[in-house]
Amino acid sequence: MDKKYGVYICTGCGIGEALDVKALCDVPEEEGLPVKTHSCYCGKEGLEEIKKDVADGANTLVIAACSRRVNFDIFKFEGCAVDRVNIREGVVWSHPRSEFPALTEEEKEDEDNFDRVQMMAEDYIRMGMARVEKIKLPEAYKLDNFSNRILVIGGGVTGLSAAIDAAKVGYDVTIVEKESYLGGYAAKVRKQTPVGMPYDSLIPSVVQSKIDEMEKYPGITVKTNTVVARIAGQPGDFTVTLKKPGDKIEFDVPYPLPPEMKVDEKGNELDAEKQHELYLEYNKGRVDILKTDPAGEKFGAVILAAGWRPYKPAAGEFAHLGFGESPDVITNHQFEEMAAKGPVLCPSDGRPAKSVVFIQSPGGDAGDSDFSYAGAVTSMVALKQAKYVREDYEDGKSYVFYQHMRTPGLNENFYKSVQQDPGIFLTKGEVTAVSKNGSGLIIEADNTLLGEKIQVKADMVVLGTGMVPATADDPVVNLAYRQGPAFRDIGLFEGYCDSNFICFPYETQRTGIYAAGAVRRSMTIEESMEDAAGAALKAIQCVECSNRGVAVHPRSGDMTFPDFFFQRCTQCKRCTDECPFGALDDDEKGTPKPNPTRCRRCGTCMGACPERIIGFADYNIDSIGSMVKSVKVPSEDDYSEPPFRILGLVCENDAFPALDIAALKGLSYSADVRLIPVRCLGSVNVIWIKDALSQGMDGVFLLGCKHGDDYQCHFVKGSELAEIRMKKIGDALASLALEEERVAQFEIAIDEYDKVPQIINEFVESVEALGPNPFKGF
Amino acid sequence: MTERYMVEPDVGFINEVIGLGGQDLKKCYQCATCAVACPISPDNKPFPRKEMIAASWGLKDKLVGNADIWLCHNCGDCSTLCPRGAKPGDVLAAVRSYAIQEYARPKKLADMINNPKKLPVLMAIPVVLFLVIGLMAKLFGLHWLDITPNGDSIVHAKFIHSTLVDVVMIPTFFFSIGVFALGLRRFMADIHKDALICGKTDKEKIDPKGFVEALVKVIPTVLQHKKFTECGENAERATSHMMVFFGFLGLFIVTNIFFVVMYGFGIHGPYSQLNPVKWLGNIAGVSLIIGAALMIKDRITKDDQVSAYKDWFIVVLALALGLTGMLTQMTRIGGAACMSYSIYLLHLICIWTFFISLPFSKFAHIIYRTVAMAYMEYSGRK
Repeated sequence: MDKKYGVYICTGCGIGEALDVKALCDVPEEEGLPVKTHSCYCGKEGLEEIKKDVADGANTLVIAACSRRVNFDIFKFEGCAVDRVNIREGVVWSHPRSEFPALTEEEKEDEDNFDRVQMMAEDYIRMGMARVEKIKLPEAYKLDNFSNRILVIGGGVTGLSAAIDAAKVGYDVTIVEKESYLGGYAAKVRKQTPVGMPYDSLIPSVVQSKIDEMEKYPGITVKTNTVVARIAGQPGDFTVTLKKPGDKIEFDVPYPLPPEMKVDEKGNELDAEKQHELYLEYNKGRVDILKTDPAGEKFGAVILAAGWRPYKPAAGEFAHLGFGESPDVITNHQFEEMAAKGPVLCPSDGRPAKSVVFIQSPGGDAGDSDFSYAGAVTSMVALKQAKYVREDYEDGKSYVFYQHMRTPGLNENFYKSVQQDPGIFLTKGEVTAVSKNGSGLIIEADNTLLGEKIQVKADMVVLGTGMVPATADDPVVNLAYRQGPAFRDIGLFEGYCDSNFICFPYETQRTGIYAAGAVRRSMTIEESMEDAAGAALKAIQCVECSNRGVAVHPRSGDMTFPDFFFQRCTQCKRCTDECPFGALDDDEKGTPKPNPTRCRRCGTCMGACPERIIGFADYNIDSIGSMVKSVKVPSEDDYSEPPFRILGLVCENDAFPALDIAALKGLSYSADVRLIPVRCLGSVNVIWIKDALSQGMDGVFLLGCKHGDDYQCHFVKGSELAEIRMKKIGDALASLALEEERVAQFEIAIDEYDKVPQIINEFVESVEALGPNPFKGF
Repeated sequence: MTERYMVEPDVGFINEVIGLGGQDLKKCYQCATCAVACPISPDNKPFPRKEMIAASWGLKDKLVGNADIWLCHNCGDCSTLCPRGAKPGDVLAAVRSYAIQEYARPKKLADMINNPKKLPVLMAIPVVLFLVIGLMAKLFGLHWLDITPNGDSIVHAKFIHSTLVDVVMIPTFFFSIGVFALGLRRFMADIHKDALICGKTDKEKIDPKGFVEALVKVIPTVLQHKKFTECGENAERATSHMMVFFGFLGLFIVTNIFFVVMYGFGIHGPYSQLNPVKWLGNIAGVSLIIGAALMIKDRITKDDQVSAYKDWFIVVLALALGLTGMLTQMTRIGGAACMSYSIYLLHLICIWTFFISLPFSKFAHIIYRTVAMAYMEYSGRK
């Protein structure tokens, strides 16, 4: 593409008053680029001016105005590379003249004086120009084969609902169910909690009506007694091998070597060759992940609705609650099984269980937590089962001891109606002991609403144990991915598959696989059906985006994808290992094999690559590196007391918006920083930091999301990886005789805009205390 | 170590409290807004949050012998602010009603007084008593009863002789006092036991002298309705309650004076309208009528408050007492003999019903609440 440039400087929104626009125009003019100004480029007249230039052939535009987070729909020009230089929020609003006064005419005469804010705006325009020079227009990645069929794993209420939802809008769906019947757990209950208005009483299971409805859609294929042996390929082009449960076939996915096999008898790690040998032996009879099953079925996306299994207490677990000690202490699952068959009876001697205590928290060391894998659903189930006792016996009594009673949404009505039953007694409290009392039981509880220490006699005790996701025992999805067949366990979700619980509920860490129902978190049938709709929509979004060759999530619609310059690849496998989404497979040599539709375009691979051979059309080592290099770093040759220059690489998902909000709120920060938005801190390649420091910048900071247990990274582990890399760069700096403190990383959440100025200013002060970069001026 | 309390829910008790006007008690979800909102609840172990869960768990022993249910004046602040509409004020009122029946013996009589269907039987009792005793007296030559009284002036004593009235009324009155005395003995023991268990007091035993001193201390609070005026929601009820209260008090004093005048000095009524005692009687009567009428109006217009038979019984009886008394006097002065004698009979029925129902109906609160307030004062609870 022949680049024809155009630079547009908007003087509205206070820009013209605060800055010397003529001097700004000199920046592109010195480079020989045409520059125009207008008082309102987002207005009709201003926009027409740009459009006219585009019509005349301009295709590479630098628009210096407001933040790219606003008016993005206005400054969008087909076929043009555009850079939005943020001189409104990033310069003028965050550096008001009241705090950063302009030079007076008198001061201007002395060349040793400088205007920090003006310098900032000029640098940003230079950086914008440098960027557009280096970027290309992206072209969508087109799959060779494409399927829009959707695979649903699990034929329970969630799977059925998801299949119906997808079939309703015309997609072909295949449901695989490992049992011989459909319906899952919901087919085995006596009654279920409400799913609709007025939400006040138990209803028969909805599962049969779901099956009946599903059968009306010819686009849905059901395969019972079937499991997934492997899912190979990428979204839009998955090749799925199905099999009977228990069968051993060559397309069973190879499993990674378990950690204990990676070491010798002494505990030392085996070398790569030896490991590979063992790996092959370990997976004997299974073909490599890159070999495609010619008999495999094609799918575009997968909905994982594999459900859950009841929690099985270990031997001796909950002994203080009488579990294992008395046959009359059972789990809610055992109680449900019994209730589905008929009236509830004591397992010990078959007498009617007329007085039943439901315990929601194990107490003891667990504090006030509920049983593991519990949730609002276990509260709902306790209320439901309390009702069973009352249905079975007119003089029945149900007691519920809870630490948390959760009946979300309109299920509050259900709670209210259960509460109204004169034979149901609810209290918060910690159950401390369950002991035998003749043929019955005595339950002791502390800190109840009725008083400090109480006890109750009962015939039976039911423990509100939780719902263990199917993925805790087994990968289920059996992905033929180099990173392994299961979802990457980041140790935060107890086997539940999830990538970002709150913001992106259905996304797993594998693009194209959408989790719904109890495999995601313990939930009721009502919640599972809603979840199924969400996952079905995501699956549809995925096949449609894959077909158009754009990213699904979270950079929905992004046409770029990582491009590899393989000639220089050293097969270090860092990109394959570090990709949070397992997008890269590698061959036996270790050369990465990209799967563009699995990719979320975070650039973690680009940040990881020591050879710097990975990049995107509009975001690459060179484009950012050139921006860094275009910053003017004044030295003592320029001014007797040159200002410091500090580079900030800012995550565009949380930190960059927080900066915009700070500017909008009139908060200011040092004018000596130059900020560059990055897709994710995971995409930051250390070369940019080296570039900055070697051209004399005094410090570099990374501003990104929180990581750890409450991580907020859109790409799961970008900020975490960045921190690891920053620690390593410390050694390199030390070898250059530069202080480690010149490079730092800070965490910020999108709503913490009020903290941003302080973070920046404190870093600037700490760098100033270190003194200028000795490389300055070289 | 504190002993563990054995929780044994009594579903029958729950249903009874529901029947007595506590129909919303199961709606409580223990947020404790009520205990915070209550202007007269003590800081140490405040009510009615704990009473609400005791009620929904059917823990009769935690409620019936609990002095706190009597400290409540049914202001209604808790019911107004309750986010669930559980109406703690009405629940406590229902529990009090249950407690009254629990302490009053004999049970049969308690049931009769609290059962609207048995009201006609109850009211027929004094008529039968007058007839039987009056006719029996005739055998002994005593003309206490004349069902066709005549003469120039209307003298009610000619119809039912004052002695016959007193022969029926005075034993009834003292019977009620006796019932109260027996009930109170158990009540005091129970509330003390409960206070010890719940840690509301550190006094091991009730010392009679200290208790009487506490009682004397709370009398002004009762007379001035001090607790009542702390209420937010139903503060205006203090006025009507005070009118009824002082109406009864005035009429009680007047009755006693005339009793002494009649039997001590042999001066029989009707007394002159200019007599200051008569003034007091009339003023008290008017106060009773207006007060009771206001209470009825209040109950009719307040649809967010539960009004059960126990409530209507005492307000209507109070109004009937006042009205029949006043009308008896007015018809006598007006010379409507037949009407006057009839209304007088009604008045006597009301008085007897009032006496007999004192320990069995909501009227009993005058005793239990006073004792509970004195106990709180005595126990030093803050």
